[in-house]
Amino acid sequence: MTAFPHLHVASAYSMRYGVAFPSALVARAAELGMDILALTDRDGLYGAVKHAQACADAGIRPVFGVDLALDASDLGPGTSGFGSGTPGFGLDTPGLMSGTSGLGPGTPGPAASRPRTGPDSRDRVTVLARSGGWARLCRLVTAAHLTAGRGSPRITPDLLATFLSGLGRGEFGDDDGLVVMLGPRSDVGRAVAERRDHHARALLARWKSIAPVVVEVVDQYGYRDASTAVRMLALADELGVPAVLTNAVRYLNPADHQVGDVLDAARRLVPLHPRHLDRATSHAYLKSTKEMWQVARKVCGADEHRVARLLHTTRRLAEACATDPRKVLALRAGRLYLPEMDEDPVPLLRDRCHEGLRRRGLHRDPEARRRLEEELRIIEGKRLSGYFVAVSGITGLIRGMGVRCAIRGSGAGSLVNYLIRIGEVNPLDHGLLMERFLSEGRIGLPDIDLDVESARRLEVYRAVFDRYGEARVACVSMMETYRARSAIRDVGAAMGLPPHEIDAIAKAFPHIRARQITASLRDLPELRESRLGEAGLERVFRLAERLDGLPRHIALHPCGVLVGNAGLRDVTPVERSLLDFPMSQFDKDDVEEAGLLKLDVLGVRMQSAMAHALGEIERVDGVTVELDAQRGDDPGVQYVPHDDQETYDMICAGRTIGCFQIESPGQRELVAKLEPRTMHDLIVDISLFRPGPVNSDMVTPYLEARHGWRMPSYPHERLRDALRETHGVVVFHEQVLKIIQVMTGRDLSFAEKLRRTLETPQGRQRVRRTFVPMARAQGFGREEVERAWQVLDAFGAFGFCKAHAAAFALPTYQSAWLKRHHTAAFFAGVLTHEPGMYPQRVIVDEARRCGVVILPLDVNRSGRHWQVERLTPEPPMRVRVRASDLGPERGAERRAFRPEEMGRGYALRVPFSAVKGISEAEVDRMVAGRPYTSLADFWDRARPSRPIMERIVRVGGFDALHGLRPGDGGPRWRPGRLTRRDLLARVGALDRGPAGGAGAAQIPLGFAERIEPGELPEMTETEMVEAELDVLGIDLTRHVVTFHDELLDALGVVRARDLPARRNGARVLVAGVKVATQTPAVRSGQRVVFVTLDDSTGPVDLTFFESAQGRCASTVFGSWLLVARGVIRRTGARAVSLRALDCWNLADLDRLYRERGADAVRALLDREPEEAGGVGGRRIEYPNGFLLSPYSDLGPAIVTPPRRLWHASPGSSGPTAA
Amino acid sequence: MSRLYGDPIEVWTRDGEPTQFVWRDRLYLVRRILDHWVVTREWWKTGEGDPGERRFWRVEASPGREVGTYELRFDTAGGGWLLLRAWD
Repeated sequence: MTAFPHLHVASAYSMRYGVAFPSALVARAAELGMDILALTDRDGLYGAVKHAQACADAGIRPVFGVDLALDASDLGPGTSGFGSGTPGFGLDTPGLMSGTSGLGPGTPGPAASRPRTGPDSRDRVTVLARSGGWARLCRLVTAAHLTAGRGSPRITPDLLATFLSGLGRGEFGDDDGLVVMLGPRSDVGRAVAERRDHHARALLARWKSIAPVVVEVVDQYGYRDASTAVRMLALADELGVPAVLTNAVRYLNPADHQVGDVLDAARRLVPLHPRHLDRATSHAYLKSTKEMWQVARKVCGADEHRVARLLHTTRRLAEACATDPRKVLALRAGRLYLPEMDEDPVPLLRDRCHEGLRRRGLHRDPEARRRLEEELRIIEGKRLSGYFVAVSGITGLIRGMGVRCAIRGSGAGSLVNYLIRIGEVNPLDHGLLMERFLSEGRIGLPDIDLDVESARRLEVYRAVFDRYGEARVACVSMMETYRARSAIRDVGAAMGLPPHEIDAIAKAFPHIRARQITASLRDLPELRESRLGEAGLERVFRLAERLDGLPRHIALHPCGVLVGNAGLRDVTPVERSLLDFPMSQFDKDDVEEAGLLKLDVLGVRMQSAMAHALGEIERVDGVTVELDAQRGDDPGVQYVPHDDQETYDMICAGRTIGCFQIESPGQRELVAKLEPRTMHDLIVDISLFRPGPVNSDMVTPYLEARHGWRMPSYPHERLRDALRETHGVVVFHEQVLKIIQVMTGRDLSFAEKLRRTLETPQGRQRVRRTFVPMARAQGFGREEVERAWQVLDAFGAFGFCKAHAAAFALPTYQSAWLKRHHTAAFFAGVLTHEPGMYPQRVIVDEARRCGVVILPLDVNRSGRHWQVERLTPEPPMRVRVRASDLGPERGAERRAFRPEEMGRGYALRVPFSAVKGISEAEVDRMVAGRPYTSLADFWDRARPSRPIMERIVRVGGFDALHGLRPGDGGPRWRPGRLTRRDLLARVGALDRGPAGGAGAAQIPLGFAERIEPGELPEMTETEMVEAELDVLGIDLTRHVVTFHDELLDALGVVRARDLPARRNGARVLVAGVKVATQTPAVRSGQRVVFVTLDDSTGPVDLTFFESAQGRCASTVFGSWLLVARGVIRRTGARAVSLRALDCWNLADLDRLYRERGADAVRALLDREPEEAGGVGGRRIEYPNGFLLSPYSDLGPAIVTPPRRLWHASPGSSGPTAA
Repeated sequence: MSRLYGDPIEVWTRDGEPTQFVWRDRLYLVRRILDHWVVTREWWKTGEGDPGERRFWRVEASPGREVGTYELRFDTAGGGWLLLRAWD
């Protein structure tokens, strides 16, 4: 029996429909001895590249196709159609209607109305590409998406006809064409099932006249499946249309049907009910050849001859469509789709590089010339010159728009990138290697990653699309997959749980994978305490786990842009993203396999923040800062040298909150220990703060050697050169390359190939077998080789690319420089664009501690964004001497670093945009209408909504205008004087009164402005702060913790400011607002929770180890104000951190204090903590002994008090899991 | 005219298809399978571990010379067979 080819197979990339991944389907087909397998996902080719890869690896020939919805194609009246009330379906295809006019009104058939759900809700056809039909298939899918509304692609027979060059010659049309399979779900199939034979015949005849078609016979053992299949077969025979057999595969195993049912319900937003489900039975799985033969026999009755013919036709169609996977996997075939150039890109790139040498002042540097030649040789050998020219054009375009742009990643290691101004990092300065970016041995394409201002990223995208045209450029997509929360939401809804319960259950879980749900209920103390595991939700959780990792919807990749040529849409299907950008259906790995060049343009908030800061400096002080130039001749311009010791003083003191990459608690601890003094130190610092170096225990030896407490040691004398910059400790990928180069005597391209192989355990075994004999042959001793190997082994997949770190170090330094020298402007940028991990109130506090005054909202002075105001009329003396101008002896006389003086003389003004719920249009009107003469004037001209107006009054936006002074220590009742409450009452009157209504006749302002003063009491300080927290999320008037000072003093709580003076190992109580919670990957394999509290005098960093989490976890995650007991651990000259022993919710303690006094609170704190069990879960063990908690690096589960008070933006540094 | 029974029976199968069964102490040989279909029940309402599938077979079978038509049902949850109907 020849192997049966499945020609209708949906994988998990049929979103919220399929359940099996292409690799699993291909593996099963291979097990079953099949040699051809199709992938015909619904609505797109999302899984095509993965299918091609799996097929290529398994030696199976792939068939590509797509399962598309059919737009209303009903013939004539009297047939079932979409309800007339359904919008959007009214546009019937005129071409089709005219083509079928001959049928007339006599067409019989019941006028059954369409169900909204279930298999009959929409007709679908499957379109297969013939062996050479990939390009047509891509274009068809693109057209199906672009002609219909977003997310609901559709085709009509006419649309399909435009993608075919007629019917073609062969049985299944031309070799580069498409074949339409009409199955039971098609219009033909439905007519057959409804026993409207005449209608079915007409439909099929119509299809046959416009496209190569086959009838698809399916029997999944449903109640009526067999009779429909028999009739379909008879119809095909009658009209002489080939008939093929498929199983309309949707599952890998029969048991998957439950998951399929849940997905059907989730896709349609309905509860589980037979009426809504697509399936009838569990038989839609990848059946074996024998099982399919049984199906064929069932359909054909006892007619063995007909069975053979059906299977034979199926086989012939499969042969006609089967293709070489390398038609899709262009990269493996060595094909690239580069942008077209007007001139030959090879000399063009050479010219530009040599021009760059002169411009960068490197034309006399023999090292630079040699390096350039080498890089150009490799680029030209790979025929990539055009790519570099194109990317350089794009960076030029971006800078031309005035958008800040920086290179990130391994691309910084290439001199060519520096010369043609793709990046601003000179690789020769930092010893960066190009091989990490691009090498001869490496299969694959270079990745150039650019960071641009986040606020203007989409503007950049639009400019790129405008310049190159939508036919040549597309964004890259990515699959959002099911994780614990989304899986619980969808399963809960399918099972009919009430929405608010679903919400509560889903939010109880941290951001874990769906398959960890059951285990986490057992392992995590905060979930154990919630008792969710005993709530009778086992079935929900078990089903949710089975959704783990399935694609849920497609989204725009945050940064990938494809740059191709006019043939782009022949190789990738394109659809519209939510923001209306053309978006490839391939993800970032797929596009590379498809031979497409990708450029990552990532929006970085810090770049926006710095751009905002530069604007403020220019506006307020009239100083232009050239952030990207170290020196220059213009006296009116301030340049930013990379050796400014005042900036490093600030970093060494750990005052880095707000700075790029180095503001997290862990990094503040590390910079304080490492004491960076040069750019290189910063590069090392950033590279060390990674799981890799932490894992290989590089931090301690590095610090010891750096501070001279220990002699650097080298595995071998000949490795000294490579490792000297980091005192014998391997920190960078580049050093791994050099070690391999030295020890094997081969070139760096070879070394890079070995390094990449180190990423998997099997790879490490292979490398060992290569590396050890080669090193021995080079004359290294057995022990030295073993030592070197251990370094490589431990380094494994971790470690960090130095080029990447160097690219990061630049904005890190620039942000620190701005903080040090233009403090207020820097914070204005940070507060406006929120680049970091801390909530705004922490930044405000830090600004205050740096001497910047924070001014409240004022309708006449506030702007759209955070703005700097000068407190003194003259610019304060900002004498700045460049460190390079100072002799070493003068450098020593530098003033001691006084953080509180950094921002003196400047203030920050709360902007309109900080008001909760304010709309863009309201901000526009408020800013445009300034100045205002009164409350009523503002109400009339800025036209805010009433809640917004009230919020502005409550946080004092009109205090200055009306001379209010709440919080001045005066009495609450102020007869004869206006209060905020009076103003609030006035807002109500304005809203009701004739002047308030839109379009109402304007009453002259003088009359409208009668506010009775002193009727109502003024707000107390507590009320003011409450209003500020509610409206702005920032406590401006007073720090919230200061309201508890009495209790905290009674308990003897130590303030952050006083912690450094305490001795190491002392037990203390601390308190504050929780401003950050992190659970990063750490060496021991524990889940460690790092918490930062803010108590108005500075940050307090606490570490909760697993031993403390049993009793603390739910308090830590569930409270906003915390009191904690901890042991002081000294981490640097001025830096301490605490190991937490216990913690309490300050709000609870406060209640107890008010009700029963300080002694009751003390008694509670002194109570011996009871053990509640620690954190469970099997550690993930890496081959080199590194253990990782399965719950590390997760977002927190419970977000407590008001919005924005406590948030974590993904833009920040923090360590990431390997 | 068919009659309803619902008697538990013992069935022998080959490749998943019934070949003979014993009903009321008589052995029936399956001559021909007329139809076969599957009905899935609403598993989300049933107990744990029940795939909720029932397989139906309509067969021509004979205990001797006379041939009758019978409907058999296999319950995947319990693993038991029933003779549902007979046309004999």
